[in-house]
Amino acid sequence: MGASRDEVDRLKTLGPVAWLDAQFAAPATMPRLTQMNTGLGNFDASVLFKAVTSPDTLRQRITLMLSEIFVVSVTALPSNNNGNHWGGVTYFDLLEANAFGNVRTLLREISTSSAMGYFLTFINKEKANPVTGSHPDENYARELMQLFTLGVVKLNQDGTPILNNGVVQDTYTQNDVENLARIFTGWIGDTRTLLPIVPGDFPLKHIQSRPMIQDPVKHETGASTFLGATVPAGLSGEAALDRALDIIFNHPNVAPFLSKQFIKKLVTSNPSPAYVGRVAAVFKNDGNGVAGNLTAIVKAILLDTEALQLPAGTAANTAGKLREPFLRLMAWARAASAYSSDGSWVMVGLGDAGGLGQVPGRATSVFNFFRPDYVPPNTGIANAGLVGPEFQMVNETSVINYYNTMDRIFSGGFPLRSDYTHFLPLAADAQKLVEEINTLMAAGQLRPETVTQIVDAIASMPPGPSEAPLRYRVYNAFTLVAMSPDFLIQK
Amino acid sequence: MTEKSHDASRRAFLRHASALSVVGVGTPLAINLAAMGEACASTASDYKAIVCVFLNGGNDYANTLIPYDQTNYNAYNGYRPTIAIARSALTNTVLAPTMAPVDTAGFSRQFALAPTMDALLPLFNAGKMGVLLNVGNLIEPATKQQLAQGTVARPPTLFSHSDQTNQWQSLSADAFPSGWGGRIGDLFEAGNTSPLFTSVSVAGNALFATGKRIIQYQTSPADGASFGPVASPLRGSTKSSEAVVKMMSQASGHLMENDHIRVSKRMIDSNEAWIAALRTATEPTTPFPIGNSLGDQLKKVARIISCASALGAKRQIFYVGLGGFDTHGGVLSIHPGLVKKVADAIAAFYAATVELGVANQVTTFTASEFGRSLTSNGDGSDHGWGSMHFVLGGAVNGKKYYGTPPAVASNGPDDTGNSALIPTTSIDQYAATIGKWMGVSDSNLLSILPNLRNFNASTRNLGFI
Repeated sequence: MGASRDEVDRLKTLGPVAWLDAQFAAPATMPRLTQMNTGLGNFDASVLFKAVTSPDTLRQRITLMLSEIFVVSVTALPSNNNGNHWGGVTYFDLLEANAFGNVRTLLREISTSSAMGYFLTFINKEKANPVTGSHPDENYARELMQLFTLGVVKLNQDGTPILNNGVVQDTYTQNDVENLARIFTGWIGDTRTLLPIVPGDFPLKHIQSRPMIQDPVKHETGASTFLGATVPAGLSGEAALDRALDIIFNHPNVAPFLSKQFIKKLVTSNPSPAYVGRVAAVFKNDGNGVAGNLTAIVKAILLDTEALQLPAGTAANTAGKLREPFLRLMAWARAASAYSSDGSWVMVGLGDAGGLGQVPGRATSVFNFFRPDYVPPNTGIANAGLVGPEFQMVNETSVINYYNTMDRIFSGGFPLRSDYTHFLPLAADAQKLVEEINTLMAAGQLRPETVTQIVDAIASMPPGPSEAPLRYRVYNAFTLVAMSPDFLIQK
Repeated sequence: MTEKSHDASRRAFLRHASALSVVGVGTPLAINLAAMGEACASTASDYKAIVCVFLNGGNDYANTLIPYDQTNYNAYNGYRPTIAIARSALTNTVLAPTMAPVDTAGFSRQFALAPTMDALLPLFNAGKMGVLLNVGNLIEPATKQQLAQGTVARPPTLFSHSDQTNQWQSLSADAFPSGWGGRIGDLFEAGNTSPLFTSVSVAGNALFATGKRIIQYQTSPADGASFGPVASPLRGSTKSSEAVVKMMSQASGHLMENDHIRVSKRMIDSNEAWIAALRTATEPTTPFPIGNSLGDQLKKVARIISCASALGAKRQIFYVGLGGFDTHGGVLSIHPGLVKKVADAIAAFYAATVELGVANQVTTFTASEFGRSLTSNGDGSDHGWGSMHFVLGGAVNGKKYYGTPPAVASNGPDDTGNSALIPTTSIDQYAATIGKWMGVSDSNLLSILPNLRNFNASTRNLGFI
């Protein structure tokens, strides 16, 4: 999520490969559901708490990535008045538990998650009814293919579209959607046993904190044909789901589609086809004949030459990605060992339009805060034929709000704050202070000219005599780094 | 025209001229660009604005404009019995047009607004609102048979939210994305003192509002504050504030850095002028609905329009939006509240334009990526294609329907087979009619709406305004 001085030192000692292996082996911290059931805050708080403090930083980063691809927004889920989204925390726990697992298993779990059932509306939906003329809900069937696994056009293994006489080819048809929708009937909430309810609990807690189960009466048992394959008639709902997911998972688009999405979220918005191809090959086979091994895929993405060094020549000028607002905040929070001053880990104000505009798990739709194929119109990015997904969140108002929010947080105006114990001893020396922030918050990516510019500004501020002027130096140094284009664009 | 505005116009014109060299002299686009530059500076002497109200998610048209005559109500109720609105609930919102719309089978049809949209009824009756029937994304006119035989072009990736939103807002397959609202703005920026404020989105990044040259200016319902580092030294440090401003405005050789800097520089360059102009805005006394984000956005639009002269704007494009319309569930529990927000907000906005004395100069229209299926999935409806839309304003020829009422059927003559309507009016025609009112010439309409030429010249202006 971000780097502390300890973590940077560990990485230096171990080297990238051993550091990654240590992160893959790091134990998971307390599940969010356990946190919430024992009274440690609501959904937003559980997200912020883990993002800032959990030592398994890579697992948290992958969890965030998965939450922005396999999107569920708790804004559409029922909750109690305290924002205790049992569905939301259960869903994030599910993503975290599978962060280093297997994509096929992950697909099974999200497809039976009650949070997803609510969010994409297929919970409690029934097979076609000849009396009322109703048809199966197509929502999840469509987005499972369009957004979670295949995309709308057929892909080569390097993620480029397959062209037929210069024209892209649809991956699936409306008929495929209608047939796959039959699989997502008969899924209902699990109320077979009730969980203990304490005052303030939410009655749907039973359903939201457990996977959906099958109601055979509501499930379509006829055969369903899609993507050129058939789920035979007469299977149980559970078995039909597994057959359907096998059909999707074996589609040649899955490896390049998801590999490219993962790279875009982690490393660069416009990876080269060769990079996508290398990762897609690992997606298809981790070396042991297993497809969809996320540990192997993440390793392949982060240790690829295109991730470790900037490309030569002019390609360096288009490499990288805009850091999304939440990750900018986390870069500070991890660097500055932030904590919640009142222990609440509240995020009030961060997500709204006047704040950062982004709280994980609160996207406005299944298309996330930003789409992977977003092209900011009338920009250099557009004219170069590239994409800039995170630019979907950037506008004249958001840049003002970003400055105001970050500066307020950095200077202690928010429950999430830092004591800057690591930085205050450096503050009298502007150069040392800025270079340390550059290393920890910006991964050392500030250009020398930018460092000089910031150092000059900080050096012009009085270094004493009390602690307050030193604090001001630290606040300003963080704010200036946060506003620098070198930091905003991660390379 | 002041000296300053003259300069701005000249600069905009020069940019048009320089576009010629980029495109290459002699291409049709270049010729049209040249024509645009000439045409607009001279024609836009009055003020006009269009307001696109985008309903994100695909609006359920069938529960927005409900068949009311008994025959077609029965068909509607038969195809979606679990999500149909009771006919008895519709008696207060039945529309009484000057002429009943006639379907292809020759039957006069009746429609009612959703009961929660009653705020629009007085506007329709006063002739300030028109209703568009079965409008949607088309490349060329298409019948069910032609689509089945593959003899006409079918818009790609139908039924996909993101793709259909882009196609609706762009109406161009150009490799460099731009929106048709923005392209109308391109023609008029030279007549605006501050071209930057030609196209304004109050609902985030919208392809609709960005042209090939103009970039949408984005604002929020609340008036923004001054940008801190410009207003005062950061914790007493002038050099810190200067460094922030410099980093946010000096060009970078890195493409993405530079695109981010372009946005922040635009903010730094314009924020004070924007705030100063908005200080002169008239606060409408017209009540806007409370707890209605669309109402909040439209109130901001009304305030911006009230200070259009301070912003130096003769022609403006606005974009507002409301989400939540992807009602795969909750057509009866969620959708009535959503369309109520739309009706209350745009009715209040119209009243505000009357109060501001600009009702005849402002035209508001609804849009959505697609309609929805007539049939239900139990408690919701699925992705469709054609839909019904509303156009409002003092200049609108209201109390009328435009277009052909579709058959109320699943796998009938007017749907794809999955009860998604095949549009009989294209968005290009919708856009051309709006563009024509803004003062875009016929030849420029053909250049900014590339598919318009596929529709018979006599049908390009739908006549609703």
